[in-house]
Amino acid sequence: MKAFEVVAARDARHAVALLAEHTPTAKVKVIAGGTDLLADLKFASASHAPDVVVDISRAEDLRTIAVTGGGLSIGALVTHTEIMASPAIREMFPALVDAAHTIGAVQTRNLGTLGGNLVTAVPSVDSGPTLVALDAQVTVLGPGGERRMPLAEFFVGPRRTALKPDELLVEILIPTENLGKPACFLKFGLRKGQALALVNVAASFWVDAKTQTFRAPRVALGAVAPKVIHATSAEAYLEGRAIAPEAMAEAGRLAVGDAKPISDFRASAEYRKHLIAVLTRRALEGAYDVWQKKQSPAGRAR
Amino acid sequence: MVTVTVNVNGEPRTASVPPETTLLRLLREQFNLTGAKLGCDVGDCGACTVMVDGKSVNSCLMLAGQADGRDVLTIEGLATLERLHPLQEAFEQLGSLQCGFCGPGILMSAKALLDENPDPSEQDIRDALAGNLCRCTGYIKMIEAIQGVARADGARPAPKSA
Amino acid sequence: MDKKSAVIEKQARLQEVEALLKAPAAAPLAPLPREVLVPEARQQTPAVRQRATRPDGRLHGLGQTKYIDDYYLPGMLYAKIKRAGIASARILRIDTSEALKMPGVMAVITGKDVPCNSFGPSLKDQPVLADERVFHAGDGVAAVAAVTEQIAAEALEKITVEYEPIRPVLDPLESLQLETPGLHAPNPNIYGHKVIRKGDVEKGFAQSYRIFEGSYRTQMVEHVPLEPHASVATWDANGRVTIYSTLGRITLGRADISRTIGVPMSRVRVIATVVGGNFGGKNEITTEPVLALLAKKTGRPVKCTFTRPEEFLASTTRHPLVMDYKTGVTKEGKILARQIRLVLDGGAYCSWSETTLGKACILSAGPYQIDNLYAEAFVVYTNKTMTGAMRGFGAPQVCFAYESQMDDMAKALGIDPLQIRLTNALREGSLSPTSQKLHSVVVRETLLQAAQRFGWNEDGGGNGAQS
Repeated sequence: MKAFEVVAARDARHAVALLAEHTPTAKVKVIAGGTDLLADLKFASASHAPDVVVDISRAEDLRTIAVTGGGLSIGALVTHTEIMASPAIREMFPALVDAAHTIGAVQTRNLGTLGGNLVTAVPSVDSGPTLVALDAQVTVLGPGGERRMPLAEFFVGPRRTALKPDELLVEILIPTENLGKPACFLKFGLRKGQALALVNVAASFWVDAKTQTFRAPRVALGAVAPKVIHATSAEAYLEGRAIAPEAMAEAGRLAVGDAKPISDFRASAEYRKHLIAVLTRRALEGAYDVWQKKQSPAGRAR
Repeated sequence: MVTVTVNVNGEPRTASVPPETTLLRLLREQFNLTGAKLGCDVGDCGACTVMVDGKSVNSCLMLAGQADGRDVLTIEGLATLERLHPLQEAFEQLGSLQCGFCGPGILMSAKALLDENPDPSEQDIRDALAGNLCRCTGYIKMIEAIQGVARADGARPAPKSA
Repeated sequence: MDKKSAVIEKQARLQEVEALLKAPAAAPLAPLPREVLVPEARQQTPAVRQRATRPDGRLHGLGQTKYIDDYYLPGMLYAKIKRAGIASARILRIDTSEALKMPGVMAVITGKDVPCNSFGPSLKDQPVLADERVFHAGDGVAAVAAVTEQIAAEALEKITVEYEPIRPVLDPLESLQLETPGLHAPNPNIYGHKVIRKGDVEKGFAQSYRIFEGSYRTQMVEHVPLEPHASVATWDANGRVTIYSTLGRITLGRADISRTIGVPMSRVRVIATVVGGNFGGKNEITTEPVLALLAKKTGRPVKCTFTRPEEFLASTTRHPLVMDYKTGVTKEGKILARQIRLVLDGGAYCSWSETTLGKACILSAGPYQIDNLYAEAFVVYTNKTMTGAMRGFGAPQVCFAYESQMDDMAKALGIDPLQIRLTNALREGSLSPTSQKLHSVVVRETLLQAAQRFGWNEDGGGNGAQS
């Protein structure tokens, strides 16, 4: 690994100050868990290597999980292991726990952070689809203060985000109206452990109890476009429609049309299309299961 | 250069290293603790697994400075002069290690698992070892060894309910 | 007894003793057939079902086993190899001057510094460091010894190499064509060939109810030992070099090291330590001569440990095979004739290709009794990572082909895949493709027992146990 300087940030504001100080004159990277950054830098050429690395791993203010006025707030430094262990997240969003569980392995989940995973912005980012399906917002801190945007817009393209060089992702927020919204995340990789997703899908919707129809349905797809996307035609099709297996299957077929999968050495575009249809249907079924369990007291106890 | 003080296997150790030094290189090159291995250097193989503040991590993916002031447990800290750690004993008895290169990492992952979950299911064990690659022995004998230790521990008071 | 007769008797006795003491020039011929003790098939020995522990198991568990990368010799330097990064090219110029100027860089060598720049476990077709020609992207073109690995790695970026690209040959079938220019000209690209003939395939095909033809391919596979290749070289005051290495075959490696660095074998000492996984990938030297030369030049011990990318790029891999099978069968699925052509992608250098070629060819008919067989195998050069020994030496590749074809034929003939194998399986006393009489053959018994254990027939048979 090439030599670089490390400056440690005490908290988020200090980190942003350090970014403001160093970005004008140096190539700067931020390190949190380091699981992506260091793996990238190990064999990087000199032209690729940073001069300064801002270490935010001790910025304790970025490590909180709390329900606030705006919704469920998850600090950017919360690790995947902490997400899996959080009682609040386990209660409200088991899909987020499932998504975290599919990332890397125990060692990488202990180090890797939610914020770090999102800023990599790889198309297959496993934290992405569930949060997009829950209309999550992200808070970005820069020299001029905070700005907030939907996560779906934070992702710009493969390995590209809306983050400016002097900005820091500080918070992921699931809005109040979506707290407890039934959701399901499914990932298909070539192995169970340490695999990149060929396709990952998250579905989420409210159930209108009276009419048994889909309300505010969301389907998010990963690894099948330059970034995590909403399957908009599937979502439009489901809105207000009666909940039925056929509708879920049709939404799966429609989702295929929303995606632009590529063929690479892991899978062909055709295979990915097949997976989109199947996983979308299953994710919708899974989200419905979550809702049903919440309805029955027996299910809750289980 | 940064000065790093780490509590390694219960003893404070200090070294002055370039800032880009990983925890793995700090342990191997400065403290001569060569139990943790460099297998892939990118967090895939798990041969470098150590515990930091009670959690297993890939020491190749952590900067030495990030471990400053923390507790680090390596394979060298598992046994005492008097006796092997039960996991080491079980791995030896069952022949769970062949070439042995993955062993230190596997044992640290197993230790981290049992610390948190004294009564793991087979699936829990497999999940705990997913980040440790073994190319010769295979995982069956390792899983048997870990289960054996868990059961022996479970016979003592207050096993965690499933 | 008179004196004279006593002397005669003594002389006779001496002759007798002398005859007894004198070893015969050759052992007396034993009558044939000689009686050989053959254990009963599946005979239980006392070791079966016993738990075996390993003598090195304790140190492994304690993390105290020392692998090469755990070694540190006083004053040791670290070497890094610059890889070509281009599959096929002529080297026009290598400039190492900028690297040599870097503080901490103690020596840089290129292929020109290697006394005898060729080696190999069978053919001597591999350069220690490519000097005139690059044969695959993983070829080393220069080596640096520096006080830290980091400086050595940075020095590699300061070395500039000017290449004249040559169109690479990547497809083994293209390489097989005689008009394809030889990679290692004037030698042809086909560097190994084997034929096995048994019976008369044309006659067998003529009698067949149906003839099946199929082409099967397997991919390149890397061994991925968890421990990367590593070695340390150090010279002593008497001009002897000691090399600690992850090498599996030290005597063979010693000969190659001696040849390449131009030092008599008696002055080369190779120490093989505990190895963190070999699987056939550590059966030949890699950087040992480079380290010996760098150590000589600097007067200090030099270590090199492969990075994981180097492990994929610059160590041997499993041969990809292109396998064409033509098989004639009766209506009942009995194989009457089989004709096979194997093309092994040998990569840039021979390595253990000839062993792999032989074994793949001999085993290509499968564990089946085939009276009319023609198997032909070629191994060819391509501009890819060299292929060599790996677990099974070609056996897994051909297994994929012949078992795939068995399934294809069973499906087409409407026969249970298990049945077609039972029909053709080798039996006690069957002749192998090379007409060796086989003993202790339990293919059928094994298949039947396996089928019973995993419930082959439970879902109605024929469809396997998958649904």
